[in-house]
Amino acid sequence: DDQDEVNQNYLADEEEEAEEEARVMVVPDLEEEEEEEEEEEKEEEEKEEEESQTQETGSAWWQKWQIVNEYLWDPEKRMSLARTGLILVIYFFFYASLAAVITLCVYTLFLTISPYMPTFTERVKPPGVMIRPFAHSLNFNFNVSEPDTWQHYVISLNGFLQGYNDSLQEEMNVDCPPGQYFIQDGDEDEDKKACQFKRSFLKNCSGLEDPTFGYSTGQPCILLKMNRIVGFRPEPGDPVKVSCKVQRGDENDIRSINYYPESASFDLRYYPYYGKLTHVNYTSPLVAMHFTDVVKNQAVPVQCQLKGKGIINDVINDRFVGRVIFTLNIET
Amino acid sequence: GLSSTRAAELLARDGPNTLTPPKETPEIIKFLKQMVGGFSILLWIGAILCWIAYGIQYSNDKSSSLDSVYLGSVLALVVILTGVFAYYQEAKSTNIMASFHQMIPQQALVIRDSEKKTVPADQLVVGDIVEIKGGDRIPADIRLLSAQGCKVDNSSLTGESEPQPRSCEFTHENPLETKNISFFSTTCLEGVAVSIGVLFFIIAVSMKYYVLDSIIFLIGIIVANVPEGLLATVTVALSLTAKRMAKKNCLVKGLEAVETLGSTSIICSDKTGTLTQNRMTVAHLWFDNQVFVADTSEDHSNQVFDQSSATWTSLSKIITLCNRAEFRPGQESVPIMKKAVVGDASETALLKFSEVILGNVMEIRKRNRKVAEIPFNSTNKFQLSIHETDDPSDRRFLVVMKGAPERVLEKCSTIMVNGQEQPLDRSTAKAFHTAYMELGGLGERVLGFCHLYLPADEFPATYSFDVDTMNFPTSNFCFVGLLSMIDPPRSTVPDAVTKCRSAGIKIIMVTGDHPITAKAIAKSVGIISANSETVEDIAKRLNVAVEQVNRRDAKAAVVTGTELKDMSPAQLDELLANHSEIVFARTSPQQKLIIVEGCQRQDAIVAVTGDGVNDSPALKKADIGIAMGITGSDAAKSAADMVLLDDNFASIVTGVEEGRLIFDNLKKTIAYTLTKNIAELCPFLIYIIAGLPLPIGTITILFIDLGTDIIPSIALAYEKAESDIMNRKPRHKKKDRLVNKPLAVYSYLHIGLMQALGAFVVYFTVYAQEGFRPSTLLNLRVEWEKGYVNDLEDSYGQEWTSYQRRYLEWTGYTAFFVGIMIQQIADLIIRKTRRNSIFQQGLFRNKVIWVGIASQVIIALILSYGLGSIVALNFTMLRPQYWFVAVPHAVLIWVYDEVRKLAIRLYPGSK
Repeated sequence: DDQDEVNQNYLADEEEEAEEEARVMVVPDLEEEEEEEEEEEKEEEEKEEEESQTQETGSAWWQKWQIVNEYLWDPEKRMSLARTGLILVIYFFFYASLAAVITLCVYTLFLTISPYMPTFTERVKPPGVMIRPFAHSLNFNFNVSEPDTWQHYVISLNGFLQGYNDSLQEEMNVDCPPGQYFIQDGDEDEDKKACQFKRSFLKNCSGLEDPTFGYSTGQPCILLKMNRIVGFRPEPGDPVKVSCKVQRGDENDIRSINYYPESASFDLRYYPYYGKLTHVNYTSPLVAMHFTDVVKNQAVPVQCQLKGKGIINDVINDRFVGRVIFTLNIET
Repeated sequence: GLSSTRAAELLARDGPNTLTPPKETPEIIKFLKQMVGGFSILLWIGAILCWIAYGIQYSNDKSSSLDSVYLGSVLALVVILTGVFAYYQEAKSTNIMASFHQMIPQQALVIRDSEKKTVPADQLVVGDIVEIKGGDRIPADIRLLSAQGCKVDNSSLTGESEPQPRSCEFTHENPLETKNISFFSTTCLEGVAVSIGVLFFIIAVSMKYYVLDSIIFLIGIIVANVPEGLLATVTVALSLTAKRMAKKNCLVKGLEAVETLGSTSIICSDKTGTLTQNRMTVAHLWFDNQVFVADTSEDHSNQVFDQSSATWTSLSKIITLCNRAEFRPGQESVPIMKKAVVGDASETALLKFSEVILGNVMEIRKRNRKVAEIPFNSTNKFQLSIHETDDPSDRRFLVVMKGAPERVLEKCSTIMVNGQEQPLDRSTAKAFHTAYMELGGLGERVLGFCHLYLPADEFPATYSFDVDTMNFPTSNFCFVGLLSMIDPPRSTVPDAVTKCRSAGIKIIMVTGDHPITAKAIAKSVGIISANSETVEDIAKRLNVAVEQVNRRDAKAAVVTGTELKDMSPAQLDELLANHSEIVFARTSPQQKLIIVEGCQRQDAIVAVTGDGVNDSPALKKADIGIAMGITGSDAAKSAADMVLLDDNFASIVTGVEEGRLIFDNLKKTIAYTLTKNIAELCPFLIYIIAGLPLPIGTITILFIDLGTDIIPSIALAYEKAESDIMNRKPRHKKKDRLVNKPLAVYSYLHIGLMQALGAFVVYFTVYAQEGFRPSTLLNLRVEWEKGYVNDLEDSYGQEWTSYQRRYLEWTGYTAFFVGIMIQQIADLIIRKTRRNSIFQQGLFRNKVIWVGIASQVIIALILSYGLGSIVALNFTMLRPQYWFVAVPHAVLIWVYDEVRKLAIRLYPGSK
């Protein structure tokens, strides 16, 4: 059967050739005939075996060797029978070379991408805002007289502020001059120093004096941080300020808020951020809001916005860019 | 006749004189059918799942996004649009047939209000008196009141090929047999539903994820796997071909017939009208002891035989004068061969023959005034007429006679050779017989011609001839020559037959004609090739009895209807299997069905031509029934899958060629369409397994399937044939399917995978440049999708809000989309050919491909830059450089495929 012979020749030739890809081309076509061929081979094998049984036992090993040999390589047909294996090998090589090509592509691509600075930051700008404590929800419901209802906020805040402990900050970070950018020139891959942001800056909300962060008195502290963005610099001379107010309803529901640090702003010295690879000990600056007099026993929606030049806080689709909305419902 | 008012009353009472049309499926059912077939069901499921998913989401969280609702609506819209489209296509092809039926509205000449009026046949009522003349179709079931030599062709009803005489006598109880009733040709056949079944695979995935997640996952898988655009593209491709075929005179009724036609392996063809021109034509002449060949081509223009001999002058005179046929008036501008003639087939042939050679025949006849004539009848077997001559000096009368050669020769005593009368001796008689046998053996109808000049003294100018008493000599004529006629093959047929042969298609001729004629035509068109012999031929050559010849030695066979009747199915199978060239002669239409069934037992795809009502069973039984557009009855046309508008056999071959081409091209289209399915499916698998943010959205997939890919896949239908299309054996309908294993494996596991990888490179590029390196992306899925996490860290320590991530995800969709789109361009180019190199096929020959590519790019540009701001579509504006990331991969696909094609060409056996 001519066709098969051509196939076989082809396969045999292939083996001699190193050309990986060319080999693979015929594979789908060959597969169909594969089973058929194998059956043929098996028949042949059986025949051979019958013959070998009739012969002397002395040459039995030699016979078996021949069968195995023929199974692997039939000189008449110039083909290998371990075809399934061969096809698997061919496919393996095909996918391996594909994988190699792709890896190479991705690798060369990544050579062009700096590990220190993201290529583009326009998708992550303008900065988003997040608050702490945070437990899956932006509704703060708690009863002052039932510590169980607010205890988890305290734990969350304590945990969060561990990295801001004064001792740790003094040990790891430098005290840099306020009111100006902390620019560190030098090579991209050089380690950068970070400015101190001490827990004590937060005063009444530091948890140092009042370990319940005001929750036990119905005057909760909420910390606000701005999302880190590599290279982001607020407008010089005009630090980003935080301002909170009642989002909907009576403005007098919140009669007073204390901000810590008192400027209610993120100092310029915490910018720019150089990325986590080199700016290892960078600690995000925080602003604590101390809601000292809020209407009790009713849900008060609060909106805290960033204010400053170049800050956007009114994106319709994204309610976390430049602002954050949460509700306070303090029961007594 | 009836009065108009009475006729109107009866019309109101009985309804129009039409057959009740077959009950049709209501349009709405047809429409709904299109909505629920095949993939549509899957998509409906997808849509419903979407809505259920939203329901679950909504019950958990009132503010959940409307994405699922959008998606469900889009899916439903896709199904409905596809359904509407398919319905529209079907309605269009049905309309073509309908308009074809109404092309010739039948008119009837009826006597009403004592006046002859022409009314549409369906306005006839009981009691109308209808006038019928030769050539009219009988407009209703009528009783003959008076008739003169009326014969009707009942073949469409009973299969009788001979015209049946009809008169006013009541002769038989059976209305079919009695002579005084003629029938309206009936037709009652149900419509053929058009449906295209497309293979598809469902991958059912059950993974232990949240119900909602797995529902969305399932929808993604469904949408990725279902080639939504395929139905539309296949339909369009087939209708484009159907349109192209209609231009070449093949009107295909059902679109699937186009594709079946390509796999035809046996064509059972009628002879008359299909293989031949359906008109008698002078083929040979014999005079001066020589045989001359006349031109039998369609226009007769090239008559090259020697016309200088005086014998020819005499012969041409007899041909011209001894002929009652006349051209219908008012056809001066019509070419001679196309003019309508009053007269029978042989006389028409002679009239046209002489008109072509001598010019104005009517003028010649006028100059040689006819004084008496005996018309042809079956007892005399000759026709005779007496003329004055146009030579003023010659006052003799000329008697000219034509008829059956042996009868004519009996009446002759001399023979004209080179213009000289010679006595008819034994040797000349022998020469005559040899010529007669030779021409008769060619299956031609032979006529003899002789003449006699009556002596002027015995028959003066005033002599009154009486044809009843025969008061003039009817013997001792001078024999002038023989002339033979045949219904010649159409000039395009031999080529078509050769083409069929090289395409591995067997042609079987089925005719009611005499075996000798049938064989002669079969030989002349090549159905029986020049060097093959029948059993009878071998017996004659070896000089042995027919029984002694080994039947297997004969390649050709001529089988008559009577022989066929006595054959068992097994014998017929043997006949069909052992002879490659078969002619069935003297067969009835019923036997055609037996032949078709025999062929189908051989596992063949059979195309059958037919025209009469009796052919309908065979046409229906055949895989492709082909009805004749001109001579075919309505019943045949409605039973057939295809109508030949010009009745020409060559058109069938054109049809086969188109069918094969579209099959090839559909394969390309499907390969093209399936390839990207892997690239669409992989994202969902990776999404679940590796936990990457979803690389491509369901709506985006729909935009590929129904947006960018539609025009290119239709463009593949315009691809020219790869050179060898008609040199291949017919495809085995069951084994060689549209989607076979190599195609699926190559599309999915080779190109599809390369494409998926290429698209992933674009995806990773976008994410990495925005801040998320692949290592970070791994298993990020859960955090990524949490709406309340608004400070998710990326590889650089930057923090992302959930909406910023969503926007980035859409950018990823767009990037993946663009990656697939760019690589689909390469896919489109490689799919242009299956074996040949692109450079052999020519990159620029198929302009539509470039339109397709342009459309792809333009649609993608519009989606990204034009509609990038519409949230529901999930497209964003992509940085220009990302459009080029996939280009190297596209080139890689191209190179890879070129290497594959090279391998296939170098080792052709492996395909």
